[in-house]
Amino acid sequence: MALPGLNLSAATEIAAPVVHEIQKDSEWRFEVAFGSNVEVKLLSGTAEIFGTELAPNQTYTFSGAKAAIYTWHGCRIQVSGTCQVEYTAEETPMVSYANVHFALEKLRRQAAIDGREGPRVMVVGPDNAGKTSLIRTLTGYAAKTGGQPLVVNMDSREGMLGIPGSLTAAAFGTLMDVEEGWGSSPTSGPSPMPVKMPVVYFFGLPSPESNSAMYKSVTTRMALAVTERFSRDVASKETGCFIDTPGILSQGKNNYDILHHIATEFSVNVLLVLGSERLHSDMLRRFDGHRASTDEPISVIKLLKSGGVVDRDEAYMRHMRQTQIREYFFGDNKSTLSPHTQQVDFSQVTIYKIVEPSTILTSLLPGGDEDNDTEPSRGGFHGPPIFEKVEPSLSMQYSILAVTHVAPNSPHEDIRDSSLMGFVYVAEVDEQRKKLRILAPVSGRIPNKALVWGTWPEGFADLVG
Amino acid sequence: MSSGLASDEVAEDYKNSLEDLTLNSRYEISNLTVIAKENTEHAMAISRVLENHIRTAPPNRKLPALYVLDSVVKNVGTPYTLFLGRNLYQTFMNAYTLVDNQIRKKLDEMLKTWKEPVPGSMDTRPVFPVEITRSIENALIKAKTAAVQQQHQQAKAQQEILHRGRSTATPPMHWRNTPTPPQSSTPFALPYGAHASGVRSGNNSNHNNNNNNNNSNGVTPSYGNHKQYPQQYPPTPLSQPGPYQQPTQTPDTLDTLNNDIANLIDVARAEFATNLYDQGVQTRLKALLDLQSILRSQKLPPEQIKLIRDQVAQLSLSSKPTPIPAPPVIKAPEPPQPPAPQPNGQQLGASLQSLFSSNALAELLASTARAQQKPTPPPVQSAFSTPQPQLPFAQPQVAAAPVPPVATENPLVASLRAAGLLPPANVLSTATPPALPLNPAVFPMPPIAPPTIPLMGTPPTQSATPARAALAEIENDVEMTTASLKIPRPKLISTLYEAQPSQCTSCGRRFPTTEEGRNKKARHLDWHFRVNQRLVDVVKRGQNRSWYLDEMEWINYKENDEGLNDTNSNGTAAAGSAEATSAKSKKDLKNQYIAAPSDPALANVSCPICQERFETVWHDGAQEWVWMDAVRVGGRTYHASCFAEATKDGRGGTPARDATPEPVLGKRKAEDGDLNALRARIKKENIP
Ligand SMILES: [Zn+2]
Ligand SMILES: [Zn+2]
Repeated sequence: MALPGLNLSAATEIAAPVVHEIQKDSEWRFEVAFGSNVEVKLLSGTAEIFGTELAPNQTYTFSGAKAAIYTWHGCRIQVSGTCQVEYTAEETPMVSYANVHFALEKLRRQAAIDGREGPRVMVVGPDNAGKTSLIRTLTGYAAKTGGQPLVVNMDSREGMLGIPGSLTAAAFGTLMDVEEGWGSSPTSGPSPMPVKMPVVYFFGLPSPESNSAMYKSVTTRMALAVTERFSRDVASKETGCFIDTPGILSQGKNNYDILHHIATEFSVNVLLVLGSERLHSDMLRRFDGHRASTDEPISVIKLLKSGGVVDRDEAYMRHMRQTQIREYFFGDNKSTLSPHTQQVDFSQVTIYKIVEPSTILTSLLPGGDEDNDTEPSRGGFHGPPIFEKVEPSLSMQYSILAVTHVAPNSPHEDIRDSSLMGFVYVAEVDEQRKKLRILAPVSGRIPNKALVWGTWPEGFADLVG
Repeated sequence: MSSGLASDEVAEDYKNSLEDLTLNSRYEISNLTVIAKENTEHAMAISRVLENHIRTAPPNRKLPALYVLDSVVKNVGTPYTLFLGRNLYQTFMNAYTLVDNQIRKKLDEMLKTWKEPVPGSMDTRPVFPVEITRSIENALIKAKTAAVQQQHQQAKAQQEILHRGRSTATPPMHWRNTPTPPQSSTPFALPYGAHASGVRSGNNSNHNNNNNNNNSNGVTPSYGNHKQYPQQYPPTPLSQPGPYQQPTQTPDTLDTLNNDIANLIDVARAEFATNLYDQGVQTRLKALLDLQSILRSQKLPPEQIKLIRDQVAQLSLSSKPTPIPAPPVIKAPEPPQPPAPQPNGQQLGASLQSLFSSNALAELLASTARAQQKPTPPPVQSAFSTPQPQLPFAQPQVAAAPVPPVATENPLVASLRAAGLLPPANVLSTATPPALPLNPAVFPMPPIAPPTIPLMGTPPTQSATPARAALAEIENDVEMTTASLKIPRPKLISTLYEAQPSQCTSCGRRFPTTEEGRNKKARHLDWHFRVNQRLVDVVKRGQNRSWYLDEMEWINYKENDEGLNDTNSNGTAAAGSAEATSAKSKKDLKNQYIAAPSDPALANVSCPICQERFETVWHDGAQEWVWMDAVRVGGRTYHASCFAEATKDGRGGTPARDATPEPVLGKRKAEDGDLNALRARIKKENIP
């Protein structure tokens, strides 16, 4: 019998905090809805979230999270707020995950002795197999051991230190933020957590399948930057890197050649396969006994998927993307950011739209060649156009534009390969007055650079009022 | 008010005044405080001078100088708290290392007041940020527990030299007669604090005199406040080191026991370091240390030794987060294993805690104190042959807890019972240990049930190396094979936890207890401190997401561990302080920075002297974008080097920047060159 006016959810919000005792070698799994908060405090013992330890008696706040608090020694935690799901699990793959870390440590020690790069680790597996959680855990352990791994996110469906659609690499030598996943890229102010410095490229499509040629090119560029970084950064070189891959690449043989491309470009020598027997045997066939370009043997290791990994439905993923976009511009609950809106004339921006591969065949456009007169020729080689220069239109409203580091009329390859300055959001398009309202993270004129419009992430109507 | 003098002149004056400060003179301290207050624009210089003075002053003059520091931070506050806070750890610990125990007590008190707001102030924040005071406390606790052990070692060595029956009135090896004070490796080598007091009693009485005739204005409550912690200390006169008894027990039993206790102390200390405010751990550690000293100073009947030894052996097994040598002679009673590994770390932790409820310490102290007062029990000569007050965690309120009457058995046995180290006389062992360790009603505790699963899941190894050393060299036998990855390896896990026992309480980051680890942690805490200070400002300033680095910047980017680079040679770097007119090295100027303005109008200004723009770089220590080599003077922003040059000898001209750090354009070009090389490589690889 429902009583009008009785707000049950409000009543549970103010419920007294609950103390959970978690036995050693088990974990407390919890899910928190977007828009509600759950506070967790470690009362005694030790606890970690994806490899990063909780400080005792500090309050950690989770929102829109699906996570697990693991303990190697047993612990007591105090939980305030309502979880959608919560339970304690004794069976976890953490022993093998930690052992992977120690095995990698051995490889790192050997690499340091030989003056080589530390292990390049690629994690493959279907969607929702826990690839990112595994990498976070291994990254946390590596940092705790004094290492400084480079983490490379090749999955444009989720952002790392950026928004979806981007591909990112960053060094993680300092503590990660247990509440925020990978943490936050720098802001103009101080940060209570050490910020991470990413290099960001734009893919702008949800799946490598949509444009495998472009995906492979950006991969090559990313791998080159990472390799260059290794050559100048001893700490990262000794630790190596972790590469997160899109689940779709593990979900069908058609895409194995893209996986193979990533593995080759990064000279991957450790391949961790999560959760799929068939994928494992496919990977063994493809890689086992092979050698990386460095002549190191490639290890292919199957790891169990954690029972705590839950399927994230499209509604959740969409919410997560919107949260990442909002946080990019407006910050999170720890630090509020002030982005900047401004009106710009259509003529003030140069926007490139990613050309769908299917349309390349029908397109006979020379790909903006007339703008490139002053540019050096592309070695006499003109590939198919990668982008199409577009006028702003109403269809662009609520989209994200990537701001590259290259001049507005650069060759397409340069635009494609450029790292990003960041993102702007098209809040409004006024076709009559030929004006755009743009939300930018930084105040001042939007940089006079080539802007790229992808289809990913999708439009986000209510980012700005 | 502003003296209009250059910083170095003010600093010189201040230095001279400090050198005159030989006594704890309230008048002089007030005077120095007033000078500091009137010259806040030279706060940095004054702070440096004060720090230097404290560092270089002879031990007996360090306390008055520290009182100046205390008075300045309490009465003037910022910016002195900022400048003096930065090196407070070194300043305080250096002094603490070199002074005698009397003065140490005063420093302890001073430290305590720094954790609280200034009395009577509207500001509710502590005098210094808690990260700073906590790092000091942490270091003190570790040093002190180490010192207690060292005392025992020294005492043992001394016994060997003096043999039984010889007078122990001679002070053991010490540093008092040598010109050099002890080095940091043996900071607390002075085994009997009171030995040093003879030399310094003159000073101490001066302090007392000052205390009597000062007209206190109440703002610096710690001066001359000689309130000690009498409850904490046994009434043994400190000037008489208790004679050590040569142990008469069979050596192997006692040695085993002593080893076990020493190991337990190691474990408890590591735990304590990570969990500084856990009363249970404190109590356990204290009880273990007390037990250690009791065992070393008293004769006990062999059967009692054996009883204690068996209990301790079980504790060793159960409390072991790190491998500890198993006593070969001990056969700990093992009950049948339950089918499922139910008893776990948590339960064991709870029962261990319950063994050492907060009252256990009180009971232990009280009963041993009673034993000392009572002349009757023959074996007890002096329960505490060493001064215990060094243990800061012997909180007065704990010691003052009501003491339940104890039966007339040997007070030592009673106290061991109380501490849970011996089974209670009349309570039958119950299956489940009490869940609430802090409930005084559950005292005395039932004995600990022998653990079926050691805390860390590994049996103790035969290795005789101390736990910590063993961790550093644990054999890593993990292979990248499915079979090898399945085997649990708690010893390796301990490299992520116990091997780095010193944990930052605000973010959870761990540090080893090595010299390097300590330095790292100090810098880390410093970083927290600076960031916290800036977070306060930023609320007013507003902030926004920054543009990302470009590829080449990222490739060349050097991640710094927080603040590793900006606290070394030049404390001014992190300060971003305005006035930089005094003679400084060029490097200092280059390291000077201000927060990069977020207002675009301000972001585009050039240096009025050289007309060049400022270079915006990410500063890891400050965790924000800054303009390096920049200084703000009278509302305008200059290159620090330009400004120093222009004002050096009164010329207002526009001298050339003879030491332009990096010609911005040139640097850009170089990078473009790199980038082109990179592109060339990519093109080459892309073309089949
Ligand atoms: Zn910290
Ligand atoms: Zn200048």
